[in-house]
Amino acid sequence: MADRDRAARPGLFAQWHRARRADGLALRRALPDRLLPLLVAAMAVLAALALAGATGAQILSARWSSGAASMLTIQIPDPEAPATAKTTPPLTRADAVLAALADTPGAARVHRLDKAELATLLAPWLGQQNDFALTLPAIVELHMQAARPADADALARRLAATAPGTLVERNAEWGERLGRLADSLHSCALLAVAIVVGIAVVLIAATTRAGLAARRLPIELIHAMGATDGYIAGRFARRTALLAFIGGLAGSVLALPLLVLLSRVAAPFATSATPPPTPTADWATGWTTLAHTLPTPLVATLLALAPAAALIGWLTTQATVRAWLRTLP
Amino acid sequence: MIRLRDVGFRYDAGGANGTSAPVALRQLSFEVPQGGFRWLLGPSGAGKSSLLRLLALGARPTSGMLEILGSDIGHASRTALARLRRRIGVVHQDFRLLPDLPVFDNIALPLRLQHRPEDEVHDEVHAILDWVGLASRAEARPPQLSGGEQQRVAIARAVIHRPALVLADEPTNALDEYQANRLMELFRDLSGLGTTILVATHNDALIRRYPAHELELAQGRLVRNG
Repeated sequence: MADRDRAARPGLFAQWHRARRADGLALRRALPDRLLPLLVAAMAVLAALALAGATGAQILSARWSSGAASMLTIQIPDPEAPATAKTTPPLTRADAVLAALADTPGAARVHRLDKAELATLLAPWLGQQNDFALTLPAIVELHMQAARPADADALARRLAATAPGTLVERNAEWGERLGRLADSLHSCALLAVAIVVGIAVVLIAATTRAGLAARRLPIELIHAMGATDGYIAGRFARRTALLAFIGGLAGSVLALPLLVLLSRVAAPFATSATPPPTPTADWATGWTTLAHTLPTPLVATLLALAPAAALIGWLTTQATVRAWLRTLP
Repeated sequence: MIRLRDVGFRYDAGGANGTSAPVALRQLSFEVPQGGFRWLLGPSGAGKSSLLRLLALGARPTSGMLEILGSDIGHASRTALARLRRRIGVVHQDFRLLPDLPVFDNIALPLRLQHRPEDEVHDEVHAILDWVGLASRAEARPPQLSGGEQQRVAIARAVIHRPALVLADEPTNALDEYQANRLMELFRDLSGLGTTILVATHNDALIRRYPAHELELAQGRLVRNG
């Protein structure tokens, strides 16, 4: 009777649980659930910081290219004097230049700095005063769709004919230098990400090889019984992918406060708008605020970090185990 | 069936000083038809274990042609070899049981690698546990078993999936006479059902009790086939 009870079929869950652990690979022992997630979490934090750098550099590059780089500054000496060209009614030099700028192809916005703006501009040299004894030149900002050197030169010639002595300064030169700097930073950040991924691959491969060495007997045995390379590699890869996913998730969460802090520090360089609000303790509002605090590409990157870690873990383990199995007949 | 034509086998060469590895098998040629039973004889070091290793697809021959169950082993892909291994049952001299798996799961391994339904696995394993007299030890771990019990588990694992080829290296070493006779009866039954069986042994009494075709090796060569 006792034998009959022992031989009674177990329930479905018991059968599934038994079959799951019963190929002898004992992957919980081969790939322990602490070391690998910890290593991957550390790598994920580093990757998140590097990706934040890449995203930040990209945003700065875009802003500097589309902002300062596309702006021309025009200086009109003696702005209230009559213009050279005879018009009805007669125009001042400043108005004649503004009229010429309005007709310039590719001009997105023309803005003449008013007295207060000029005072602010000159404050570092002349102090806070609005009443200047000297006649100041008029300063006009011309925002172009894209400012090429040839455009600036042609414009300078045209304006010189309208109001001799008018200077056209192309800000693009500095903007392009800043853009190149930002592009270099972006490349460095991507290189850092690649190095982090490389280190993660090496760590996962080393951990997998240690696991293979620890479970050599059962692997050889089930291989000799007909387990395919795909089956054995798949079992190891699924375990590694799970552990790497957990590590990646933990790393993303750990990196979040750092990224929020960095975003707040970098905000003035990336936008002229007011700095983003501080996340509040209220969860719903806090998450909404957080989404606005971090740039969208960075949020997407953070969300992709854990799946990417899992994918890297899966691929690395597949390759490592299959290469190791090649040593068996 | 098994077919060998001038099969040679040498263990991996490449010692530190470039010396070549010893030749384990030389120009073996013989056939075993489907359902055939063969004793594999010879002194220690004659090449019996190497031959069983080749036949169990644990290595490929270094020369000659080896055909097992219709496949040319020298040219078979890894996937084809894996498929073929699922049709072979091996009783190792050292049993090769997994110490951290219960007896039940050790025996169930070949069925689970064939993705058989768990209900079927349960019934098959309990039936064979009854046959080898270990029904009450299903949950025991191999280190908790005696040598004879471990050997019976190894035998059960080798035949549970009704393989087309059974290879046994000294399968009665740790068995008493009663169990050894039962095993031989099982092999005869399997052979009658079409399973090809090769048994390496030094047990002369057993060979006398169960006379069959003999393959005798000496220094890696086949010296008797009959």
